[in-house]
Amino acid sequence: VHTASWRQVRAREVVGMRIGHRARPAVQARRSDPAVPGTPGTRWALGEAMGDQTDLPHERTVDDPVDALDDRFRAQVLPELEVLYRVARRLTRSPADAEDLVQDALIRAYRGFARFDGRHPRAWLLTILRNTHVNEIRKRRPDLLDDEIAQRLPARGPDGRDDGTSERALRNDFDPLVLDALARLTANHRAVIALVDLDDLSYQEAAEVLGVPVGTVMSRLHRARRKVRAHLEAAGFTEVH
Amino acid sequence: MRMRRRLPVPLPPRPDCHVVGAVLQAYLDGELGPKDAEVVAAHLEHCERCGIEQATVTRVIDAIRHQRPDLDPDPVERLGGFVESMIEHGGHAGPCARGD
Repeated sequence: VHTASWRQVRAREVVGMRIGHRARPAVQARRSDPAVPGTPGTRWALGEAMGDQTDLPHERTVDDPVDALDDRFRAQVLPELEVLYRVARRLTRSPADAEDLVQDALIRAYRGFARFDGRHPRAWLLTILRNTHVNEIRKRRPDLLDDEIAQRLPARGPDGRDDGTSERALRNDFDPLVLDALARLTANHRAVIALVDLDDLSYQEAAEVLGVPVGTVMSRLHRARRKVRAHLEAAGFTEVH
Repeated sequence: MRMRRRLPVPLPPRPDCHVVGAVLQAYLDGELGPKDAEVVAAHLEHCERCGIEQATVTRVIDAIRHQRPDLDPDPVERLGGFVESMIEHGGHAGPCARGD
């Protein structure tokens, strides 16, 4: 099978050439999108920096119809919707804002999908989500500096108020203590716990969402867990003999 | 797929407790590569002190993860519908966006 160059793939997208069966509006020409990693003018080190990839980037061919591209998009994006929404809930103030944010990020992801190398779709999507969120903050508050925007990112952790934890029935003896311990953490520590322990992100993915180095995620996580542990141990829990 | 963190220097074949302690968190979070994870697992098998530490840290992590809030499935379902609609409309929001 002849492998098309990126230029050929792009040309096919721009002119709206279709090999699929369904008649649809032509996909608009992909423009550089600063929110989407991999498009010109963006920095996209995630994944490339990881040395132990096991999945190879997918290869585009001239026999690769748009439908197949759409199928890949579905296959790579649909399994990540829950994580995207969970993270968006932490970044925004309301469920409706979170849904809007994910929708905006999905549109950007779809438009930039031809340039996505196929590795680590979750990390790629989380980066788009974060960049989309930063862009929206910037639009609303152009006066904010980058550092101030970064401070707004880990908006909410498991603080027992807005993320639903307070509405759940307590599940075991630990729960009140753990919630109390989490509430006492700093916002930065709570954010890391929320992303890694509650939303199940990898260190690298959490680092992307927070805009900090992986080492910072690791050290914050370590300190945060130590504080929770100390809180539980002070109450007589967690001792194993 | 979870991305594993590659250590700057591979673990020695028989690391001491200090080395294992330094990577225990990454090990428990599934962030070590398979070879390093094997080395740590082998150490934990025979080292009682590190085994106790592992059990304690695991218990703390489990307690925290137990606080994971239940997620309302409706928004996620709607987002799935949004993806289909967006694809159908060639990358535009489509009629089901914004809760329509």
